[in-house]
Amino acid sequence: MSILIDDTTRVIVQGITGRIGSVQTHWMLQYGTKVVGGVTPGKGGTTVEGVPVFDSVEEAVRETGANASVFFVPAAFVLDAFLETIEAGIKLIVVVPEHIPVRDVVKMRSFALERGVFALGPTTPGILVPGKGKMGIMPASLFAPGRVGIISRSGTLSYEFAGILSESKVGQSTVVGMGADPVVLRNLADILELFQEDEGTDAVIIVGEVGGEQEEKAAGFISRKMTKPVAAYIAGRYSPQGKRMGHAGAIVRGSSGTVQGKHEALRAAGVEVLESPIYVAQWAKKHKLK
Amino acid sequence: MRLHEYEALDIFEQNRIPVPRRGVAETVDDAIRIAGEIGYPVVLKAQVLVGGRGLAGGIKSVSNPDELEYAAEKLFSSEIKGLTVRKILVCEKVDIAKELYMGTTIDGYSGQPVILVSTEGGVLIEETAKSSPEKIAAIHIDPSFGYYPYQARTLLRRLGLEQQLITTWSDIIGQLYNISVRYEALIAEINPLVVMANGGLIAVDAVLEIDDSALSRIRLPLPDRIERIENPIERRGRQIGVTYVDLDGDIGLISSGAGLGMASMDIIGQKMRPANFLETGGGITADLLYKCMELVMMKPDLKAIFINVYGGINPIHEGAKGVVRYIQEHNVKIPIVAKALGNRQEETWEIFRSGGVHVVTEAATEKAIEKLYEIISGQRG
Repeated sequence: MSILIDDTTRVIVQGITGRIGSVQTHWMLQYGTKVVGGVTPGKGGTTVEGVPVFDSVEEAVRETGANASVFFVPAAFVLDAFLETIEAGIKLIVVVPEHIPVRDVVKMRSFALERGVFALGPTTPGILVPGKGKMGIMPASLFAPGRVGIISRSGTLSYEFAGILSESKVGQSTVVGMGADPVVLRNLADILELFQEDEGTDAVIIVGEVGGEQEEKAAGFISRKMTKPVAAYIAGRYSPQGKRMGHAGAIVRGSSGTVQGKHEALRAAGVEVLESPIYVAQWAKKHKLK
Repeated sequence: MRLHEYEALDIFEQNRIPVPRRGVAETVDDAIRIAGEIGYPVVLKAQVLVGGRGLAGGIKSVSNPDELEYAAEKLFSSEIKGLTVRKILVCEKVDIAKELYMGTTIDGYSGQPVILVSTEGGVLIEETAKSSPEKIAAIHIDPSFGYYPYQARTLLRRLGLEQQLITTWSDIIGQLYNISVRYEALIAEINPLVVMANGGLIAVDAVLEIDDSALSRIRLPLPDRIERIENPIERRGRQIGVTYVDLDGDIGLISSGAGLGMASMDIIGQKMRPANFLETGGGITADLLYKCMELVMMKPDLKAIFINVYGGINPIHEGAKGVVRYIQEHNVKIPIVAKALGNRQEETWEIFRSGGVHVVTEAATEKAIEKLYEIISGQRG
């Protein structure tokens, strides 16, 4: 079992004719993902990697029965494409691009929540279910099937954790990138809830970083609702105050958003705080995870 | 992009928020002339983009030209938290009866704009939030409806204020909120908003931080974003499209992701000290990594470089070519350790090795940094 992606997931790729969209469609297909179509307005009727391209999401849904979408759309056009996708009835959207204006994300989030759409990102590597399929850009070679869930604010660090676990023969049920912007389309606690309910997941790892209060707020949910073991790593203890560390959301402002504050909140909720990524292997061993 | 106080005050004034009479001085003579026009006493405020400026000695009140000359010379020749003072804002000194706080930002957790007000102005709002949360009132703005004036009035009533103050203050809240929308602000803040002896309100400070991702679509005059970056290596990084943050160690770092870069810093920091944070984002090419090498090498006395990249969205084999070309053209002697995993990893390792880069193929960054530490320690011994 897994969360978000299963055998019924039929994916369209928005921005499929772009440089990144077409390369990533190739990798997603090679991993066994059911990519049933692509959308680029004005490029309908062509194909990319053997996948039919449509002019609109509505048409793509009608012709292919798609129920999920992954975005490789230039940042300036994401809001428009996102609203179109929700109107067309898609219920799962992964927004990979970075540099989307925060006030656009505010509108996207509000509309998605109102329509009951589960959306991830922006600035997310996407979702990967080992051996089954993926929506996004995660490099397949680092993942192995198993029963540990990973939620990460950072793309590359989700690969790092999956890689360390896979090397120690511990697999993953689903790996979810929640996005690295100051506002994300779904909060950490919402994703934790899916893992708590998933029969295929025995434990969850949170890979956080400085900035914002996602980890602090999730700690409240964990102490109230989570029965599965949770471990967390927070990157960025040497981040200077007031400097944006690559991600739009990774910034320590005054005394808020620090590694220390996040550690305290998570520890108080019974989460095992990992001082460094490599300790995830020992944690998995201690809980006999596989 | 955070604006200087004088830039933000101009914008606030254009949007009908009351602000003090003022001028910007680049020399002591400028400052004396401006103060003469405004009339003493005046306040001198160093224009540096860093928090806690007042406590660091960047704000001085003076009551005559002699005092001004002494204080301005001192400000221009000093550094505030490591930043050189190039401009001083010379401001009318206002009569303070009371100091208030107001600000608007985007609440990351609810994903909505939020307006915050407090009767405890002039101090850090985070401190007030911790020590006496009841003194702050907040209201969220529903993105589908936007802001309406009743929301400000409701908010101020919650603080138990009298009607006259509610009327004047709620107007200013409306103006500030409009500014935050038009300028795509991450933060728009007035702290303190001063209640003068005559009961009027005036914005004595101004903070405006604009969303970098929205800069290209704001159709209003704005200062140049790159020019204002103080550190030359950070400025060069922005020009080539990567994030570089200068640190005080001697191990250079190039990473293909922000989280991975921060984790690499954490791990380097266990036994050594990182010289910088550098994150390429998802646009790696041979040319970009060549320029990243150039950037990292701008820092003198580096002991080693650590490269940590994943091939997800990035063609890391292309990146490796750029690194090797730099090494060969510049005859780089310091050790370089690379961890590169993901799509086309074997090809990437071959290219790195051809340039004398030490390649680590395990998944954990710890293993690679341990290798780097061994190499450096071996050289010392």
